[in-house]
Parts: sequence; C-alpha cells; structure tokens
Amino acid sequence: MTRQAFIARLREGLRGLPLQAIEEAVADYEAHFADGATAGRSEAEVAQALGDPDRLARELRAESSLSRWRDERSPSAAAGAVFAVLGLGAIDILVLLPILMGVAATLIGFIVAAVVCFFAGAVVFAAGPFLDPPGGPLAAVFLGIGLMAGSASGGALLTIISIGLMNALVWYGRLHYRLLKPALQS
Amino acid sequence: MPEAIEIQLKKGALELCVLALLSQHDSYAYDIASRLADSIGMGEGTIYPLMRRLQADGLVETYLEESPSGPSRKYYRLSDAGRRTFTSQQAAWKSFSGAVDQILGGAQ
Repeated sequence: MTRQAFIARLREGLRGLPLQAIEEAVADYEAHFADGATAGRSEAEVAQALGDPDRLARELRAESSLSRWRDERSPSAAAGAVFAVLGLGAIDILVLLPILMGVAATLIGFIVAAVVCFFAGAVVFAAGPFLDPPGGPLAAVFLGIGLMAGSASGGALLTIISIGLMNALVWYGRLHYRLLKPALQS
Repeated sequence: MPEAIEIQLKKGALELCVLALLSQHDSYAYDIASRLADSIGMGEGTIYPLMRRLQADGLVETYLEESPSGPSRKYYRLSDAGRRTFTSQQAAWKSFSGAVDQILGGAQ
C-alpha cells in the first residue's frame, strides 16, 4: 500500500470526527511515513509495519469519542461514546446491549415522568387558585410548588444516575478494548 | 494456542514499555514505535492510539522541537502523574513476573 492509499483509508475511517482530530491523526501518520523515508524504508514497508488503517481508525475514533464524553456531559457526547464502544466490536457488547436498552428505556420513562410532573405542578400552581380547590387557593399554590420542586430534584437525581451509568459503560468498554481488541497485530 | 497467550502478554506490557522508554528520555512516536516494534513485535501504527490515550489520561505531555532534518517534531515526555503511574506499574510487574518466574522455574 502506498502512503497515499493508507492516508485515504484512514481519512475514510475517521470521517465524522471533528476536523481537528482528523487532521491531528493524519499528521501523526504522515510524519511517520516521513521519518520512515528518512530511515530508508519504502512507503510499502512503512504501511505494512503500521498495520490496517481501518482498525487504526476505529481505535482512534473510540479514543476521541471517549475523551469527548469525559470533557462534555452532553447527550450527543454520550451517544458518540456508546457507538464508539460498540464499534470496537467486543463481542460482550452484544450481550450487554439488551440490558443497556432496558436500562435506557427505564431511565427515559422516569425522565418523561419527571418532566410531565413538573408541568402538572406548574399548571396546578398557576390555575389551581382560581378553580376553588379544597383547602383554599393557598393549598393549590403550595401543592404546585411542591410538585415542581419534587420533580426537579427527581430530574437532577436521574441525571446523576445517567452520568454514572454512562461512566460505567465507558469504563467497561475501555477495559475490554484494552484486553480484547487493541494494540497488537496478531 | 501459544500465539494467543503471547499476544495477551504483549498487550498487557505495551503501555508499561512506553512509559519505561519515556522515563529514560523524551522521545517521538516514530522512535518509540520502531524500538518497540523490534523488541516486542507490535504493529507500529498502534502507538498513535496508545499515545493519544496516555495523553488523554494525563500521563504524557507533548511539545514541539525543531528537527535537524525537516519540520519540527512532536516529542512526548512523562508528566508527574505518568512518572508515578510508571513507578507503581513497574513494581506491580516486577512482583508479578518474579512470582511467575519462580513457579515456572520450579516446574522444570
């Protein structure tokens, strides 16, 4: 494989990552080819020694997504990390997936319930006093505030649980990718 | 499968070897890769994902240095955390491999 073909396949495999991450990775391998040429090796020899560009791209992609999740607690970073872990293709992930789906569905259910509860509280708070509720208008106001506060703290708790679960998943993925699928050519 | 066990052993040792090389002196990826590729037989390309991980974990830092031939090179050096990690992993490796050696020696 020539330098050009290697870099093209690497770029193809890295597509979708932030541009800066792609350029950094490509620059690393370009420099490697240049150093190899200085040492008197042909492009084909260097490419052979580097290994499969598709697999290198998968590892780089996983590394990039996982460190993005560490820096940035956003749903899209979480999704990126999950897909990166899946993309490494450790077979255990297939076993993990149904469990993960169940947990994710349950969490989403709770989050939806918290949001609905919050809005119900807002409605009770705003409209309740005018509907002549049992216990007087003040009771409706307090009930509304109580519902909103309760669901907000429930939501906060769910966020903490979600982040904890994601971290556990990332830890699991890293562990397995170090042990099962990583670094060395067989 | 003797090959499988050899690969597993090498994988476990790779990170420790990189930390060991960097504890001796700062280096650049091509140099690390070619030294490790010769002695433990790894694919040279895997050094880059590994270096990125070590960097993300805060174990190594990079800096650019003018190279006598051509553009400036990215050098890696151990951070303080990297040095501590190396010391503790080195100790763990020595006690583990010492124990395995003893058992293997006894089995002869």
